[in-house]
Amino acid sequence: MHDLFATPRKTGFLIRLYRHRWARVLMLVLALPTALAFVVAIVLWQRFGTDRPVRYEQIEEHFKYGSTGGERESGFPYWVFTAMPAVCAHHLPGGWASLGFVFEDGKEMPIGMSMRNHQGIDRTFFNCAVCHVSTVRDTPDAKPRLVLGMPANTFNLFGFTKFVFDCAHDPKFAAEYVVPEIDRLMQEKGEKLGLLDRYVVYPVAVALMRERLLMLNGRFAPLMQDTEWGPGRNDTFNPNKILFNFPIHQLPERERNAPVDFPSIWLQKPRQGMQLHWDGNNIMAEERNKNAAFGTGTTPPTIDLAAIGRLEEWLLTLEPPKYPYPIDATKAAQGEKVYAEYCAECHGANGRSFSAPAGTEARACIDPKENESELYGAQVGKITRIEYIGTDRRRLDSFSYDLAVTLGTVYAGYPHRYCHYRKTFGYANAPLDGIWLRAPYLHNGSVPTLRDLLEPSAQRPQQFYRGNDVYEPAKVGFVSELAEQRGRKFFAFDTSRPGNSNAGHEGKRYGTELAPADKDALVEYMKTF
Amino acid sequence: MDSSRNEKRGKILSWLVVLLIIGAGLGFYGWYKFFREVPQEDWVTATPEMRFRYGSIGGERDAGIPYWIFYVLPRVFPEKLPGPGGYASLGVSWEQGRELPIGFTKKTVGFPRVGNTCAVCHTTNYRANPNENPVFINAGPGHTLNLVAFFRFLVDCAKDPRFNADVLMNEINLVTDLPWDDALAYRFLIIPMTKKRLIEREKQFAWIYRKDFPDWGRGRDDSMNLTKYFMLELPMDDSFGPDDIPPIWNLKKYSAPGTTMNHSGDSHDAYSVIIDSALGVVGAAPKDNDEFLGHIKWLQEYLSNLPPPKYPFPIDVGHAEAGKAVFDQHCASCHASDKTGRRMPLAGIDTDKERIGTWNKSNAIAANQVVTKMGIIRKGLVEEELVGYNPPFLDGIWARAPYLHNGSVPTLRDLLEPAENRPKLFWRGYDVYDQKNVGFIAQGAEAERVGTRHDTTQRANGNGGHLFGTALSATEKESLLEYLKTL
Repeated sequence: MHDLFATPRKTGFLIRLYRHRWARVLMLVLALPTALAFVVAIVLWQRFGTDRPVRYEQIEEHFKYGSTGGERESGFPYWVFTAMPAVCAHHLPGGWASLGFVFEDGKEMPIGMSMRNHQGIDRTFFNCAVCHVSTVRDTPDAKPRLVLGMPANTFNLFGFTKFVFDCAHDPKFAAEYVVPEIDRLMQEKGEKLGLLDRYVVYPVAVALMRERLLMLNGRFAPLMQDTEWGPGRNDTFNPNKILFNFPIHQLPERERNAPVDFPSIWLQKPRQGMQLHWDGNNIMAEERNKNAAFGTGTTPPTIDLAAIGRLEEWLLTLEPPKYPYPIDATKAAQGEKVYAEYCAECHGANGRSFSAPAGTEARACIDPKENESELYGAQVGKITRIEYIGTDRRRLDSFSYDLAVTLGTVYAGYPHRYCHYRKTFGYANAPLDGIWLRAPYLHNGSVPTLRDLLEPSAQRPQQFYRGNDVYEPAKVGFVSELAEQRGRKFFAFDTSRPGNSNAGHEGKRYGTELAPADKDALVEYMKTF
Repeated sequence: MDSSRNEKRGKILSWLVVLLIIGAGLGFYGWYKFFREVPQEDWVTATPEMRFRYGSIGGERDAGIPYWIFYVLPRVFPEKLPGPGGYASLGVSWEQGRELPIGFTKKTVGFPRVGNTCAVCHTTNYRANPNENPVFINAGPGHTLNLVAFFRFLVDCAKDPRFNADVLMNEINLVTDLPWDDALAYRFLIIPMTKKRLIEREKQFAWIYRKDFPDWGRGRDDSMNLTKYFMLELPMDDSFGPDDIPPIWNLKKYSAPGTTMNHSGDSHDAYSVIIDSALGVVGAAPKDNDEFLGHIKWLQEYLSNLPPPKYPFPIDVGHAEAGKAVFDQHCASCHASDKTGRRMPLAGIDTDKERIGTWNKSNAIAANQVVTKMGIIRKGLVEEELVGYNPPFLDGIWARAPYLHNGSVPTLRDLLEPAENRPKLFWRGYDVYDQKNVGFIAQGAEAERVGTRHDTTQRANGNGGHLFGTALSATEKESLLEYLKTL
């Protein structure tokens, strides 16, 4: 100490200051709030700086309940999601299950809803499985059999969208109704709603969510007036336009009303190099997948590419389940010949042996000099022109050139900016693996069974019901004549509505003029796919 | 005492050094974040075709728009665009798989910015039928481009109170993850400055908001007024004369002595025209004249030797041969002679006169002075009053519809009709080709949806005059049309 006083020049500024009593007091006065602020910051950071997704080691669980990253930007607070059916009960009398979500025993959330604690609040939103998992039942009373990767035949995305918008508009979607319901639900589970959550977090969350939903509803409103999709379908590219904020009401009529069936997503590897999507507008699975991930609420900064990459890897070789009912081998053998003559050219040799023509591996980007006519032709994974296939053209027209080029801006600034989207003029020839689970048929799901598809469109059902998971082996498809079964109501599909036409894929070349026995044999054979 | 003074001096010195280092660091940081120029990606300049379409000519520095603002504007302000479809609704030529339309350049000057190049106005797209994707012709007239709507869009966005850091950053954060310092720069500097710069343009753009003038419509610009109000910064007068965007291929034809360029022969030579147009794109005096003139010389070389596009559909050779005789007798004296590309008085041609009123000798003198002051030597604008329109060379005429200097006649077939039989109302800017009439389809539901309405009774839109060939027989007209396809 003495030395210190003896060499004052070397004394530090703070130490010199410390010699004054007033300075010591001041320092103390300042230090206290600083320390306090520091502690508060740490607490807040721990409370609200979180980003913890649920994690599953097993890939199937990850697919069903894992996160794509969508909850960060678009997630519903878990407890608000759970409270919504009760708060807005008159908009959804049957609860979430009535929208055709698939629930597994012992799980709180349906398949296809993932969880992430983000910014201090458990959030939930869609993942891929919501549209690509469904169930099959042998009889109305049988236990549903879960199939991963098949089209979500029972899930009503239109109904879901309509409900959340209706609920957001409802005066009851406010903290004073939502928070007590959350409180009640938590008490049921023996949990307790904290003071911070009760008075700050959830009131703010509800207000923000309401604001966001009303904004989205403003953009979606014209689409909600279009042909109702019904279960198992969605309009893919008009919502995509909403992402770019194209004013939907200004679009030409022909681009509207473009619902299509959810596709199966298994066996991606043999599809490499094929024109993907119903109209074959992209050759890159990764671009298609990222674009589908927008539907799970992701944005370029928030998408979880590692999680999606895991799924992409798994889907390369995921096999569709084998047809579980008896197959008449003689009939099937006879059908094989018919298939070879009529179907194999466009759809591949059979349900497993198909792959893109050599030399069509995904390439760097669209080359402006390439010859587009090479994309078309009677080959699996190529495109058949609309004049020839003659199916409903709404989906084709909904993907406009303007949209194709605008998609070239997506993920700008990232190494994976889209550069493969293109406008096409027909529908792609799809491989038929697991075709028995992909009913109803055609891109817009307008023909309930395979057997119906082999009839000319005039003889195909003009009206049928979608959303039943009870299987009908005789015609290969789901039961489609019943409006209601065991209290479950199905969706009346009217083929006269815009976008729902069941015309096309007909005529001699398409097998609709075959003898009935040949048609039966063909259907029998396709059960083996 | 001495040692302590020295020590004090040393201390001050070391503080100065520290400050200097900090200052230099900050300076470098500022330069790096706001002024550092990074060359465009290699593919841009890999081929002349690509360089023409996407290569920078320096338009990002002053006229450029910060990339992320450019990116989100159509999402934030879709109601200010002419239709649904983002920038595509402006009729830009846009190749599939590209991040930006043709004629839009992306370059980092401190931060990524979007500028323009000649190709934005000088690329033609056409389709054989609606079930086909467009083909793009470098250096052709941009007949689909709604340039006035683009100008208005930027100004209208900037004037909107929602053009602010909160709204734009909100949208930007949905599409990219900016580093924190870039986000701060956007919020506090780039967005406010862009807003200010764009609003400053409004005064000079006053005439495109005038209710008593019709829209330019797709494929046209009021070129001489643009020069007057932007380069010369003159007060708005009452003139109005939008003209068709011209093709700029095969410029070597203008090396013939006596030829002048632009619709009225307002400029001496290709070098001058390219410089003056490029100055419009760059939006200010070039930062570096050598670099700028390097771009100009490359463009001149490329465009001089770029051949006009061949007619891409079948031609009846026999008919075309018969048509050549008709052409030689009725058209060649103006369009393939020593009169072609030279000044010609309006009397006897009698096409719409408004465009002539948009420019005069004193404008030409003033504009030449401005460019000379920049230190750029060129032959420049013709310092004479305008007298009429130059009879144009007809190379690639099939791709240059609509016709006449003001694009008031949709097809060549219509042009061979007397004025009263030419369409009084049609739609410009639809890209499906009309092989029968030689031009673009200009009527019908799709043309009306995509195109802009051209009413020939409106100011500067008149379709009168140039009655040459209108008295030919039906067969002669047919043959002539077939021959014109071969040019």
